[in-house]
Amino acid sequence: MEAHQKKKVVPNRLPREVFQALIDVVGAAWVSEDRAIIETYSRFSVDAAQTLRQHQKDPTMLPACVVLPGSTEEVQAIMRIANRYRVPVVPFTNGQIGFCGPTNDQPTMTVHLSRMNRVLEIDEKSMVARLEPFADYAQLQAEAMKRGLWNGGSPLATTLCKPASQTAFAGIWQTDLKYGTLSRNIVSTTVVLPTGEVLQTGSDAVAGVRPFWEYGPGPDLLSMIRGSAGSSGIITEITVKLHPWPGGIQLPEPPAGRPCIHNYHEPRFDTASPPANVKLLWVEFPDYDTQIKALQKIAQSGIGMGLNATGVYNAYYCSQTQEMTLDRVKNRFFPPYNCYIILCGFTSPKQIAYEEKVFRKIIDEVGGTFLSPSYKEEVLEALQPWNLDCIRHVTGFRMNRHFYGSSIVPGGPLKDTAYKTKEIWTRTIETYGETYITDRGGVEDTPFLYAINRGGRFWLSEADTYPDATDPEKLQKAQVMAISAVADFVSQKFVPIGMGVLVEPLTSAFPETGPNANRLMRKFRTVLDPNNIFAPGRQVYTKEEFNNLPEETFQFINFLRTKYGLHSLSREK
Amino acid sequence: METIKRQLENIVGFENVMDDRASLMAYAQDQSFVPRCMPDAVVFVQTVEQIRKIVRWAHENRMPLIPYSSGKNLHGAAVPTEGGVVINMTRMNTILCIDDENWFAVIEPGVTYQQLQAELEPRGFRIMVPFGVPPDRSVLTSYLERDVAMAAPSFESGNALVLDMEIVLPDGEIFRTGNWACGGNPGSPYGPVRMMAYRLWTAAQGTLGIVTKMAVAIDRLPPQRKVFFLPFQELATAVHAIARIQRREIGTECFLLNRFNLAALFCEGWQVPRQYPTSKVSAETFDFLRQALPPWVATICVNGLPYYPEEKIAYESEALYEVCAFLSVPVLEELPGVCSAAEIMLQEMLRPWGILKKFNYRGAVHDVTFKAPLDSVPDLIDMAYNIAQDHDYPGADIGVYMLPLERGRAVHCEIDFHSQPDNENIRERIKALWFKTSQELIKRGAYFDRPYGAWANMVYNRAATYTLKLREIKQKLDPNGIFNPGKLCF
Repeated sequence: MEAHQKKKVVPNRLPREVFQALIDVVGAAWVSEDRAIIETYSRFSVDAAQTLRQHQKDPTMLPACVVLPGSTEEVQAIMRIANRYRVPVVPFTNGQIGFCGPTNDQPTMTVHLSRMNRVLEIDEKSMVARLEPFADYAQLQAEAMKRGLWNGGSPLATTLCKPASQTAFAGIWQTDLKYGTLSRNIVSTTVVLPTGEVLQTGSDAVAGVRPFWEYGPGPDLLSMIRGSAGSSGIITEITVKLHPWPGGIQLPEPPAGRPCIHNYHEPRFDTASPPANVKLLWVEFPDYDTQIKALQKIAQSGIGMGLNATGVYNAYYCSQTQEMTLDRVKNRFFPPYNCYIILCGFTSPKQIAYEEKVFRKIIDEVGGTFLSPSYKEEVLEALQPWNLDCIRHVTGFRMNRHFYGSSIVPGGPLKDTAYKTKEIWTRTIETYGETYITDRGGVEDTPFLYAINRGGRFWLSEADTYPDATDPEKLQKAQVMAISAVADFVSQKFVPIGMGVLVEPLTSAFPETGPNANRLMRKFRTVLDPNNIFAPGRQVYTKEEFNNLPEETFQFINFLRTKYGLHSLSREK
Repeated sequence: METIKRQLENIVGFENVMDDRASLMAYAQDQSFVPRCMPDAVVFVQTVEQIRKIVRWAHENRMPLIPYSSGKNLHGAAVPTEGGVVINMTRMNTILCIDDENWFAVIEPGVTYQQLQAELEPRGFRIMVPFGVPPDRSVLTSYLERDVAMAAPSFESGNALVLDMEIVLPDGEIFRTGNWACGGNPGSPYGPVRMMAYRLWTAAQGTLGIVTKMAVAIDRLPPQRKVFFLPFQELATAVHAIARIQRREIGTECFLLNRFNLAALFCEGWQVPRQYPTSKVSAETFDFLRQALPPWVATICVNGLPYYPEEKIAYESEALYEVCAFLSVPVLEELPGVCSAAEIMLQEMLRPWGILKKFNYRGAVHDVTFKAPLDSVPDLIDMAYNIAQDHDYPGADIGVYMLPLERGRAVHCEIDFHSQPDNENIRERIKALWFKTSQELIKRGAYFDRPYGAWANMVYNRAATYTLKLREIKQKLDPNGIFNPGKLCF
């Protein structure tokens, strides 16, 4: 540690003509290579790999400059400069999840999109909203709800997330049972490609046509953008679907009013009721099998706006302090096998009454117990943050656990997803040990389970590690655990990342996926980014990048592959 | 040619290769305006391995390949542009799996709607079927080409029906999307690779690969259903009412027909044709109905759920009556002048091919199919009627079908012009009308997301970067341009 402290971090610098060209595009106020500014604008809030590099005082983890464009045209000009001088580019919005730092040791430009933060238009008739890349879910919902519409959900990573950046990465909501994740809610994107060209998808691709329909003319090129982990271009505009919203213009306030900084951690500020025409019902089950049986029945009954089994995650989301979290995890305050349903009266209030009747019937049939004022009232009260968080999620970043180190997000039919996640995550924890007590969610409790569609065909699960970010060993362990679990899944032909964002080294380390998805994605990449300047090596390695992987990385990959019965990989000829 | 034939015979067997003129003629044209072109040969395949071998052979020999599943596209997608080999997959017609627990079916390209529905119904399930699809159309191709299911007004039930796909790429390699990408069970379109990778191959007319298997969503048969009819004198009034009804999320199926199409659907003297084009058949019932029916009729089907189906139908019906009372729109449970209209419509919900009886009117139907924002539809339809008038085509002979999508975000429209296939003069006149209408609609913001035939140039000329990138991707995937050359922008 002492040696590290003496090591001085000297960020890379861009050639002067590149820096000057950027000034010419955006003005001197919006581009900087000042150490303090580039650190401020490129913080990685939860990214074990980047944080490890920080611990190692790796100077290449800092971008060489940060540039803040104000328009699509400026983004185009920036990309053309980068393409001309072969300067690697990474886009940046919140930096909440990984994949936002430089991807190689070259002087890299961070394109920070915070100036492009407007809701540009809400078309009430076509039920769509057009946003800039830094406009977030909260802005979108506030504007849409004024018009009796909403976007269909918000991510657990909170409504600070931007639909545009989530297009490149995730977008899983508590209301996916009805709305099917962000994937089903993108109407069109305007993407500046690494070459500076502007690609529009959906009906917006055709001049003179309004952005109202999601599929491009003929083969759909949104397929090149969605799930590309920010490696296909910069989304400078996105049009998302809106849906009818009977829940009122404003979300309810807690009876205690709003907190101040000194008392925000008091539970009384998390007790708002659900929005108008929305109702939540909580159930516990005696065991995992009963829970899974119930979830399938409910998902296929045709009722509800959202259906989720939150397991141990309740302890993180619904506890206002770290102490409460640890206490609740240790004492199993929340039922380990639970679920909640979100009901909404779109057609009339009678819809809620009908759906509640159906839900109660199913729970009665399978043998679950409702949390109620007469049964575990204190648990039901503690779960009140979900009343609003299922619609507009805010507590995710108050989640009381350590750092978010790594995760697996398996997906597929319910039984596959539920049982395989539990089996493999349990094996992973038993093999490596936890990085923090909360990693055990999914071992003794339900791994998070989200119903992703009405027929219950498809579910996503999640299991995470929460290492102490100040402990490099734990960070490393978190990474190893995730990759090991992925190898375990792949070897059994199950899906480790069901939300469809493959990133390196996983893309190339497991060519069983696809098969050879890495080679296909390489081809696509050369179309969109012929000079390999845009987050190079993030989603798929070029042949050269793959062959240049350090020997220890290769050995580690092959160690895992061999351990799980997969053949060893060689460098490509 | 003999060498080609021998090489193909080596792959699929002597009896499965045809190159005689009579056989090839059947593949040289469909009922669309796409120009006639003979293939050089037709091969019947039965396995994925045979397809891979043919694709590798074609790749090496730069031989065009035209995928053919059921021949019921009716828009020229499987008509060759420059000869080549038609890969006929009609014999790959196995329903590989019906998963009652996770609600999906795995099918081969030759599986038809009629076949799959017949298998599903006794098990209490249904496949979501597009209105007016031929019963013997390939489900796989229909979904791949983004035919819109009747349940599309419901965001949850009628869309996102393609789950996993297996594709033979132009180099003969296999690629799987969705959950299949890991080799295990299907059930999701997302999978591990890239969430919506599969969408690259949709509406591609077989230009980027051959899809050899697909997992498709199936849904439980509603235990009870109820149909309502809303008659309208004006299209604008109908569109306004549909928008209000959809915002309340009432009903699963909801569509609007003009009186021509409605009369064709209910015409007892006409049968659903087996071939397209067909022969003209006169029917008095049709003429009577076309006079008697309201100009526009919206049909709404409210479906019960497995639990307490009558209660679900009751609250939705009540909401429908409430909205319609506010708008002064009558709600009918039967259509005056039509015997058992509700019962016929309920049957159409599962097997919606009755409307194909419209082919009996003149023999051929040339549709202009597009999507548009719901509020823009009255003007667009009005424009189409005006163009028809300019071309001396009677407005009463225009068929219109409209399907609101995702609770009224958009609408899928089909405007039909009828022609006589055996009368070249009439056919040419209708072709001019069809072309002009398409052109003007595109200029006015109508969206042709599946650009068949002559639509391709009209659309891609207005989408420069999109077109460029599609061509570059095509070049990467299919450097020898073997897959269905001449289609789309390739």
